[in-house]
Amino acid sequence: MGLPGSQVEIDPSKLALAFYCLGTLDLTGQLADQNTRESEKELWRQWIWAQQTRSERHGTGFRPGNYMTAIDGPVDVYSEKSENPPQIITTYTALLSLAILRDDFTKLDREGIIKFLQVCQNPDGSFSSEPFGGDADLRTMYCAFVISSMLNDWSGIRLPDAFKFIKSCRTYEGGYGQIPFAESSGGPTYCALASIYLAPEGDEAAKLSDSERKQTIRWLIQNQEPSGGFRGRTNKEADACYCFWCGASLSILKARELTCELSLSRFIASCQFKFGGISKAPNEHPDPYHTYLSLAAVAVYPPSNGQSWQLQSLDPLLNANEETSKWAREHIPQPAS
Amino acid sequence: MEDEPLFADRPEWADVVPLEQYEGVIPLAPIFYTNEYKDATNYFRGIVKTGEMSPRVLDLTENIIRQNPAHYSAWQYRYKTLIFLNAPLDVELRLMDELAVKYLKTYQVWHHRRLLVQQTKNPAPELEFIADSLQIDTKNYHTWSYRQWILAHFNDDALWSRELEFVESMLNYDLRNNSAWHHRFFVVFQSGVRKGDEDRAEVVRRELTFVKTKISTAPNNASAWNYLRGVLDHSKTPYSSLKSFVTPYSVPHSSHQDVTSEDIVDLENPLPSPGAQLPCVAAIEFMADAHESNGGDDLMRATELWRSLADEHDTMRKKYWEYRIKEALQNVR
Repeated sequence: MGLPGSQVEIDPSKLALAFYCLGTLDLTGQLADQNTRESEKELWRQWIWAQQTRSERHGTGFRPGNYMTAIDGPVDVYSEKSENPPQIITTYTALLSLAILRDDFTKLDREGIIKFLQVCQNPDGSFSSEPFGGDADLRTMYCAFVISSMLNDWSGIRLPDAFKFIKSCRTYEGGYGQIPFAESSGGPTYCALASIYLAPEGDEAAKLSDSERKQTIRWLIQNQEPSGGFRGRTNKEADACYCFWCGASLSILKARELTCELSLSRFIASCQFKFGGISKAPNEHPDPYHTYLSLAAVAVYPPSNGQSWQLQSLDPLLNANEETSKWAREHIPQPAS
Repeated sequence: MEDEPLFADRPEWADVVPLEQYEGVIPLAPIFYTNEYKDATNYFRGIVKTGEMSPRVLDLTENIIRQNPAHYSAWQYRYKTLIFLNAPLDVELRLMDELAVKYLKTYQVWHHRRLLVQQTKNPAPELEFIADSLQIDTKNYHTWSYRQWILAHFNDDALWSRELEFVESMLNYDLRNNSAWHHRFFVVFQSGVRKGDEDRAEVVRRELTFVKTKISTAPNNASAWNYLRGVLDHSKTPYSSLKSFVTPYSVPHSSHQDVTSEDIVDLENPLPSPGAQLPCVAAIEFMADAHESNGGDDLMRATELWRSLADEHDTMRKKYWEYRIKEALQNVR
């Protein structure tokens, strides 16, 4: 089994793809022992662990995959010159994927990961996608927050700077843009809100004011369009992935009950492809990203009609099955010595 | 590119030892690479190992990028090589003009461009390039964010001078392009004070006139209403000060036909066009918010309007409008 050569663009984010596939299996209960052999899960875990890579100076994280690892080279260390450093997004997806596979995390280099986060944080509070640079936006911010939250260790983030960056991405519409000055969009809005609400208790400065919260809820609710699907930006078309980004954002803001969940599931049903998978809109080609996020949206908004729509319930902050989230929080932090 | 020989068959590459990809553990979701891709990336791994930075590395990385524009390391190594060779970056930018349009949705294309422009420090041609590429995809998120970054990063008066004109041309093409509305807000309110815009009260008046005109042309345009709210929130102007403008949009056509027949032309408060679909949900919502902030007896008027949205004009958001009623009444007690 494998992917055709035309899919080569996903190679530099293979671990993210793995997460969407494993997440889909997790939400639909396909990873239970009677459905997937333990030996198979063990092989998957081994491949993910093979991506953990270290550097004394720059910390430890997970590479997206083997696409830049040479056959003769060291496979578990990197340097500024090796061109195969770990990335913050795939470090997050690796940890969550391993939790989905119920790994015991004895191989995790926790101190190294904290170091990696420290190295990735920029003076403006944002996080670069890797220790030697790369784009920095609310996606990478969210990854830093989830990783810290799963480790239950916040020493990798300068929180006040991070909050300042998040605030600078807020726009007059009530959502957040990917970087400062950019237009409000569903994905970055989810990343901003999830980060704020993952932050440790007591960081009141980070929280939204009452009027900000109201404005954000309004913008999110306005993004549900008549087809029942959510759009990511004002006046754009509905897209299945925004059913999650906007829908989960409302859930984080404790305004879940304001969404019209029946029409939401109707929209997602219309995005199903006849040979399997879910696409971004009706009559488009399906892919793992839209399939997973659609199911995640349904898990946040289970429609009351029909058994086949009943999925595992979802933790909207970690974007994972609640059982998986619980597992991550129990096994990823440093065990008490 | 299919006509090009493999790197393995090129004599000028004979001195490089190609390195295959490591696959020690059974891979998850393996990709069946094409021969051309395997060939180029094998040579790239070989180059990275020796640390070579030469003109032929530019050929090799371009070859890989054309096969896989998301190849993070090829971009990164290409950039380092350009800097090391002190290569002419304007030539690189012209190549990027082609690749950016081809791979508009790839993060790396834009990141590379940012790095280059930070070196050339010549942002002016970028605005033209962006305007051209927005013709192809008028709402492309990367392209718009790149424009905002160019303006904010270089923050040069000459760069800013024609932005409003640019926004208007984008809005003339599509009045519902929220990216253009957002950009206008960024230019006017979010990025310092432009030359000639020192009188902020006057700027607010100008923007209100602008958005009112656009609403009168197309009343059911969420982008314009959000912009209007944005201007009012930013300048702390109460919503109720716009009641006379908004009211005609919040009622069915017949209710204000009498007014139009009296031929009152009020430039401050342009009326909806005769063919407009009324009442407009955004106008009813706006009036309700105005009533709510007035409080007192007006609160009942707000709840009546929300009720009409929940039951008649915007039933899909019934639960939201009922929540607004509940919240407003709770705050009274």
